[in-house]
Amino acid sequence: MNVPEELRYSSDHEWVRVEDGRVRIGITDYAQDALGDVVFVQVPEVGAAASVGDTVGEVESTKSVSELYAPVAGTVIEVNADLESNPELLNSDPYGAGWIALVEPSDASSVGSLLDADAYRSLTEG
Amino acid sequence: MRTSPLDSQHRQLGARMVPFGGWEMPLSYPEGTLEEHRRCRTDAVVFDVSHLGTVRVTGPGATEALQRSLSNDLGRIDVGRAQYTHLLDPHDGSVVDDLIIWWVGPDTFDVMPNASNTEPVRDALAASNVDGVSVEDTTPTRAVLAVQGPEARRRLSSVSAEAADVGRFRVAPFEFGGTTCWSAGTGYTGEDGVECAVPVEAATDFWQALLDAGISPAGLGARDTLRLEASLPLHGNELGPGITPLDAGLGWVVGWDKGDFRGRSALESARASGPARVLRGIRVEGRRPPRSGQAVRRDGRDVGVVTSGNFSPTLAAGIALAYVEPSIAVGDHVVLDVRGTEVPGTCVELPFVRRD
Repeated sequence: MNVPEELRYSSDHEWVRVEDGRVRIGITDYAQDALGDVVFVQVPEVGAAASVGDTVGEVESTKSVSELYAPVAGTVIEVNADLESNPELLNSDPYGAGWIALVEPSDASSVGSLLDADAYRSLTEG
Repeated sequence: MRTSPLDSQHRQLGARMVPFGGWEMPLSYPEGTLEEHRRCRTDAVVFDVSHLGTVRVTGPGATEALQRSLSNDLGRIDVGRAQYTHLLDPHDGSVVDDLIIWWVGPDTFDVMPNASNTEPVRDALAASNVDGVSVEDTTPTRAVLAVQGPEARRRLSSVSAEAADVGRFRVAPFEFGGTTCWSAGTGYTGEDGVECAVPVEAATDFWQALLDAGISPAGLGARDTLRLEASLPLHGNELGPGITPLDAGLGWVVGWDKGDFRGRSALESARASGPARVLRGIRVEGRRPPRSGQAVRRDGRDVGVVTSGNFSPTLAAGIALAYVEPSIAVGDHVVLDVRGTEVPGTCVELPFVRRD
């Protein structure tokens, strides 16, 4: 299972990457593998504000539906429009072209409370 | 949890295994459900469906026992043919199981229930009160492999020309690995193809021969999206307790012209009162997959409920089967309640996807 060292992770199997003070969000390789073929992504709305753990979207595969939870508090400033016609990007490139949303965090330091790669790897192997 | 005779083959191929009807069976292989679905629509795949039951019914009273126990009329067919039929609840005429009969010899039938219904079907057949009948669950003696797709017969012919040549809803024996197997022109995908019952001792070699012939494995995930596109009912979803064959639009499965059978009088009452609901197909706008249990609304009012729903890979759209009020017709616009989001859709002609 691919767990990039430079990312932070939530226990709900989302990753975050800090980019110039903003936070890019997606689901992990582990999550996409568990879901199977993704056929629909309900991305958050641009402008939506969320607290940590709020439901901000849904990922549907041929076998199940999974909710997306906000890994950090903040406001959605951009979403990945490619997912509307190509939701399979979550399977083929979960840490790259399959990103879901870009968030302006209300507290940039909150990323520090998320899991690092080692901790997330232990979670998925545990 | 029961396992297929091909369990270790599936695991070696990297299959994701899931519990299904008391069995642990492949959900998908590493290529994934969408690719397996596509291959079945364009080439050929093989499903291990060994979890289906086989109940062998033999003896001079076998035909009569089946005529009295099951809804369809064996008088419509003969030896060497297969028939889709139902076991009905005698009290309300609802469908206890939907199954296929293979008429393999003059007094010999292989009755194939759904996995979790094998015991009730066996028990119902054993209780037919007809003399000269033996009923035996032979499920553990064989594997059943469904070879499906437009290229299924061509690819299968390199393994067994006899197995590949069996006609639609025909049943014929063939030899493989020094043992007698059976092939039937049946399936559950909407594509051409056959289903082969192979004794356990030859199952691994037969499976490998199919893979070597370029037939790729497919799991329960693709089996479900394929059968949904073909709008074939799934017991536990479109059929089950409280649902008659007439509700499901399967009146053709009922042998009204034969004598008495289990559930007949209850079904006659249901026929007289007319259907309270009908099974309709709904295509939604966009890719979002409907799911069973979601409400169907029209003009703000609940008019039905989804029994099966998923993403249709062929149509690249969400599709659903739903029981709705009889007034809801093909062409009507409806709305599905997808966990609080209203998703618009239209009632469409079935099947959703028709073979070329």
